[in-house]
This record gives sequence, structure tokens and C-alpha cells, in this order.
Amino acid sequence: MRRFLALLLLLPALLLACGGDGQEESNAPGQGQQTTLLVSAAANLADVLPPLLDAFRDRTGIAVQVNFGNTAQLAAQIERGAPVDLFLAADRQHVETLAAKGLVLPDTVRAYARGKLVLWTRADSGLTLSSLEELASSRVGRIAIANPDQAPYGAAARQALRRLGLWDALQGKLVIAETIQQAFQYARSGNADAAFTALSLVIDEAGNRLEVPPELYDPIDQTLAVVKGTPREAAARRLADFLVGPEAAAVWQRYGYDLPALVSR
Amino acid sequence: MLSALLVSLKVVGVATLVIGVVGTLLALLLARARFPGRAALELVLTLPLVLPPTVVGFFLLYILGRGSPLHDWLGVDLLFTWQGAAVAASTVGLPLMLQSARAAIAAVDPELEDAARTLGRSEPEVLLRVTLPLAHRGILAGLFLGAARALGEFGASLMVAGNIPDRTRTLPMVVYDAALSGDLALAAQTSALLSGIAFLALALTRRLEQPARR
Repeated sequence: MRRFLALLLLLPALLLACGGDGQEESNAPGQGQQTTLLVSAAANLADVLPPLLDAFRDRTGIAVQVNFGNTAQLAAQIERGAPVDLFLAADRQHVETLAAKGLVLPDTVRAYARGKLVLWTRADSGLTLSSLEELASSRVGRIAIANPDQAPYGAAARQALRRLGLWDALQGKLVIAETIQQAFQYARSGNADAAFTALSLVIDEAGNRLEVPPELYDPIDQTLAVVKGTPREAAARRLADFLVGPEAAAVWQRYGYDLPALVSR
Repeated sequence: MLSALLVSLKVVGVATLVIGVVGTLLALLLARARFPGRAALELVLTLPLVLPPTVVGFFLLYILGRGSPLHDWLGVDLLFTWQGAAVAASTVGLPLMLQSARAAIAAVDPELEDAARTLGRSEPEVLLRVTLPLAHRGILAGLFLGAARALGEFGASLMVAGNIPDRTRTLPMVVYDAALSGDLALAAQTSALLSGIAFLALALTRRLEQPARR
């Protein structure tokens, strides 16, 4: 009995010691000599952001940590006071909502990249689609799409299919994924025949891709803003400027984004 | 994966401590005390067991974030910290501890406690030398189950603590990210590690749930 009681008491004590160590560790970077920014970024940026942030660190000495997630969830976290310095959303709407609530600095709201919607199929699927209309053919089974009510690229796909009059006809074939990454994984793993996803996610992938004509959907202007009240505002503004600057432009294009510079406000 | 393992260990360590202490106290309360609202309290504490983790995370975001008494009055800011993840992990692990520990404590024969009292033992002594030792198997089984659940926590932590490498990214988040980005080897390795730990925790729990052989 006593053995077990001792264990019961000892176990938490041991773990507390381990937890205590961790606390010091985790506090160190924030209070350290150099600034570390925290960025909340839409998940479609997972590939393009690391090289951009490396370049930014090389130039400024400012390190950046990234919290990837879906845009709606990231906005909810910022609304509740998450200690984020810069928000890189997948759309404009969520940033403007935060701006209207006074939670981001209005003068920092800018489009940083314009996403391109593509339809992707596996190289070995035998499906080389030359038009979206072919999705209605019996050769195509399941089509993966990100949740059109939450994910900007999902909304764009729905819009394009509606404009072509295909949305209702395809209902039985659509599988709804949580994010465009998931939609893409459905198709890549062969569980879906085709997927609507972002060009940036498949730019280095083998497989066939069909760019959805941009006139079929509203521009996906991925928008950023500096979070209000951050103690690292100056550094966050520098990063925002860098991401819409000339050095970043080449990287955005290399990863399949268009530049919204001409339409940004 | 190593840094995520460290984050997971910190989160589970603190969560196990919280689940152990808070869970034992609450289990005692629920098993022995009679007060109005007891059934309701038990239901509320059990809710995280069946709610989608995202709902738990959403509630915690409001309980811990801007506008909450904890945040605005006490200045405790747990969002986007591993301690915040520990709160989420504790919340989902606690119901498992309560189920097991409450049943074990309720099964202790009150006459044994009364006997200790007639022999002049104080209430804390009765608790520490009679009730808890007799219920220790159920309490430990609940603790292991709760800790295992805390290790597997994903959805609520993602909402409350985010997915920040080296700071709040836990092992389940590594699996999620790896599976989404197509790094199936990393996803498989991390899944295997988590499955192994979960298997051990369950095996320990089963052993404790079997009646003592002596």
C-alpha cells in the first residue's frame, strides 16, 4: 500500500520538476537578447514561408516562429488575445473583420499574394483533364474540395463550378476536406480522382494540373495585418514590408502565387 | 520530432499532476459528499469526454483568453503557451480519472473508515491511511488513463496553444502536419511512438484494474 501511495506522490513531484525545467527554457527566447516574432499563418503558406522567413532573418537578424492553421481559427485566437505579432490570412475578409473590431492596425492591412486555384490529378490516374466540364464525365469519380464555407480556396472552387453550371450536377461526387492540404492529400493518395487546391501546394508535384480560369472566381487576395498592441510592432511592420517587397516577390511567384501589388490598398 | 517530444512531456507532466491532485480531490467530493448540484457538477466535469475537442478548445479560448476574469483581472496569459496546452490536456484527461477514482472511492466500505474513527483517527488520517490506500488501484488506473488521453490531446490544444514549433507543437500535431504535407515516414514514426506509449498506459491500467492476487 505504502509503496503505491509513495508512487502516487512521487510521480507528480518528478513531473513537476520536469515541468519546472521546461518553463525556464520556454521563457528564454521571449526575453532573450534578440527579437523573435510570432506569426499566425494560413496553412497554404507552409511551403513558401520558410524560405521567405530565412531570407528575412538573414537580412535583419530577426527570427520568426510560425503558427500554421486555418484562417478562421487563427482569427478567433487573435480575437481572444493570442500573443501573435503578424497575421497572414488566406483571404481578405477575416483580416477586415479583425480590423473592424480594432484588433489589428488598419494601416498595415495589405494583400501580400494572390492565390491561384487549380484542379489536380495524379500522373498515373489516366485523367488528363483539359476543361472543368470533363469533371461531369463518368471517368471522374470523387472530387476533393476544401470546405467552401470556411476555406477561401474551397469557396473559390464552388464559385467557379457554379458559374459553369456544374455545382449541382457534381454534388454526388464532391468530398469535402477541412483544408486544401487535406483535399490535395485525398487526391494524392488516390482516395479521390481529382482535387481543387492551390497552385502553391502542387507546384513541385508530379501529376496533371489544370489552372481554373481566374475570371471564374473572385480573386483570392491573401491579406496580412500587424496585430494591435504587440510589443514588437516595429519588427512586425518590417516583416510585413518585407513580405510585400521586391525581394519576396520572386519567391511568391516561384511558389505559384500572383502578386497583388497593383490592386493592394 | 525531438522538440515536440519535449513539449509533449512537459504538457503531459503538468497535466498528470493536475489530473492526479484535482482528480483525487474531486473524486472524493463526488463519492463522499452530499450537496445540491452534485450530479450536475459530475456531468459538467465528464462533458469533455464526449464533446468534440474543438468545442472544448473553443470554450477554453474564452475561459483563458481576452475578456475572461483569469486573463483581465489576474493577468494570467496562457494562450499560445505549453502551459495552456497543459490546461487543455488536463481538461480532457480529468473525466477518465474521475470515472475510475470516484468508483474506487465509493467502493471503500464506510464501516472501515468508521472503525478508524472510533479508534481515534482524525479525518485526514482516515483519508490517507484507509480510504486512499484502499482505493489506490482505481485512482492509479484513472491517472494512467487520464495521462494517456492528455498525451493524445490535439484539437483543444490546437485552439488554445496553437501549433508553434519548439513551443507548443506536440507529438499529435507532428502527425497531423506530417500527414498533411505528405511526409508519411515521419507521420508513421510518430504514430508508432504514440501508439506504443498508449499501449503501455492501457496495459498498466488493465493490470491495476484486475483484483489484487494476494
